[in-house]
Amino acid sequence: MSENFEFTKENLERYNELLTRYDDVESAILPVLHLAQEQHGWLPDFVLNKISSMMKVPVIKLKEVVSFYDMYYDHPTGRNIIQICTNITCSMYGSRDIHKALLQEYKTENMAPCDDGRLYFQKMECLGACSDAPCMRVNNDYYGKINLESAKKIIRVLR
Amino acid sequence: MSIKADYENYTLLSYHHIPDVHRIDIFEAAGGYEMMKKWVGTDPDKIKEEVKNSGLRGRGGAGFPTGVKWGFFSKDRNAKKYLLCNADESEPGTFKDRYLVEVCPHILIEGMVISAWALGTQRGYIYIRGEYYHQAQVLEKAIKEAYAKGYLGKNILGSGLDFDLAVHRGAGAYICGEETGMISSLEGKKGQPKLKPPFPAIKGYRGLPTMVNNVESLAAVPWILRKGATAYKAWGTEKSPGMKLFSISGDVNKPGVIEVPLSIPLIDIIEKHCGGMKDGKKLKAVIPGGSSAPVLTAEEVMTTKMDYEDVAAKGSMLGSGAIIILDETRDMGAVLKWTLEFYHHESCGQCTPCREGTGWLEKILKRGEAGHGKPEDIKLLDTVAANMRGRTICALADAAAMPTQGMVKKFRKELEDYIVRG
Ligand SMILES: Cc1cc2nc3c(=O)[nH]c(=O)nc-3n(C[C@H](O)[C@H](O)[C@H](O)COP(=O)(O)O)c2cc1C
Ligand code: SF4
Ligand code: FES
Repeated sequence: MSENFEFTKENLERYNELLTRYDDVESAILPVLHLAQEQHGWLPDFVLNKISSMMKVPVIKLKEVVSFYDMYYDHPTGRNIIQICTNITCSMYGSRDIHKALLQEYKTENMAPCDDGRLYFQKMECLGACSDAPCMRVNNDYYGKINLESAKKIIRVLR
Repeated sequence: MSIKADYENYTLLSYHHIPDVHRIDIFEAAGGYEMMKKWVGTDPDKIKEEVKNSGLRGRGGAGFPTGVKWGFFSKDRNAKKYLLCNADESEPGTFKDRYLVEVCPHILIEGMVISAWALGTQRGYIYIRGEYYHQAQVLEKAIKEAYAKGYLGKNILGSGLDFDLAVHRGAGAYICGEETGMISSLEGKKGQPKLKPPFPAIKGYRGLPTMVNNVESLAAVPWILRKGATAYKAWGTEKSPGMKLFSISGDVNKPGVIEVPLSIPLIDIIEKHCGGMKDGKKLKAVIPGGSSAPVLTAEEVMTTKMDYEDVAAKGSMLGSGAIIILDETRDMGAVLKWTLEFYHHESCGQCTPCREGTGWLEKILKRGEAGHGKPEDIKLLDTVAANMRGRTICALADAAAMPTQGMVKKFRKELEDYIVRG
């Protein structure tokens, strides 16, 4: 089955607007990938092929970029991406144990979808919120001073 | 009634006490954009001169004087040039740029418009780390407001300045904070640094002259023009003039961001600004300038002044101004292991000494943690680190080597315990 990707009408407008911000099309690659991923959840080949033909850049270029950056995913994620900081200050305040316990709780591994695709856990480097250590980022929202219980509570209500 | 800015006690956080100051009307009522209106359209050399005289040093980490760097930039006002604001802020422990722009995005935009006029750049980008999604939106909204007022776009305030500004989000890679890595990333490629020279000021984004400045550096410009270089230099020391944001985290009662004069005693930051040590515990050590800065012992902390030269004299660096406080219970081996995991993960892999070296360093710490360390490993850490320095395209290899050597030097006994505890 060959799958198809099309930007929604609204996202197509955003795509066109993004291209106007730069003096060449390549410079729009990162923002366009963000946009596609926002819509699709991750970046499978058929999404990249579509972007490649829209932007007229070789698909290999896009794949290189996807594999380089931690926030682009070449594999299925989950409806909710839960990132836990394991850099210095957060580790001092127990973030590694929280990360491990959450993986156990949901019987999963780092960077693997779980709970019927509802959740996806990712260990991250410093999130830039160290005064609130330990920190967690759920989709685009920051939560500080978490512990295992409060983290579970936040996660439980995600759809 | 509108609330006024506090230009007497702050240069960067002068608007932060004002509710909703992310809105352009509130920012303007407090005094914002006055400097843009006053200076854009005047003699660009005067602006550059004032910034140079202020002695402002780049706040991204290296501390190179901003005015001097501006002096290397192409003087041809008609040539296509770019202004690139570094909001990647990925040095572990650093969160000052986030705090600055999420509360008061317009101070950065005002600084960038003035800088664009001074430098003759026609386009600018704010490269912000991907994790700062909401902050990127705050900036997008502020930029829209500024366009609507005619402070961005064509012929700004009738001055003849055309300047377009956009936000560009990164996607989770520390190395994009390094200016040439950032340029590669903006060009739609892997964020791999490029060999210097040529420096970006000569040949940068798309092969054209590009001025890369940190958020805090650009946001300091309006204040410097408002009060003058001499007023700016009244703070700090001759070599480290002015005010600086510090991001403080770890074992203190009140961690957070503060703006204080450079050269403030480090112990005052801990005791006066951060409410002292948490739970009455004793201080063991401080990482004074982000994770790449070598650690200071408690004894050194007592006499350290937070300016570029004094922190350097103590064998460390002021870096991005990220201060991590460690109390007596902290295990220095674990701290080093976390640090090295980070650098290994973030090495872009282009240079062998960096790619292999960060891998080795991490491995030595990990096998120590697992109980397979040997006494020679301490020496090995030091040797591997020494061999990584000064041999690579960018300074990431040094950024991993320096804290390693610092830890070996200052906490050797504790590292031995960690690595060979068996
Ligand atoms: C590995 C590495 C990471 C860096 N990360 C940042 C960063 O996150 N933010 C930043 O402003 N500068 C960072 N820099 C410094 C930049 O390369 C550049 O010097 C700086 O943006 C220039 O701005 P300034 O002169 O205003 O400091 C980094 C440098 C290196 C070597
Ligand atoms: S020093 Fe490391 S991060 Fe920098 S260019 Fe070389 S391999 Fe990449
Ligand atoms: S160490 Fe976790 S946010 Fe900085």
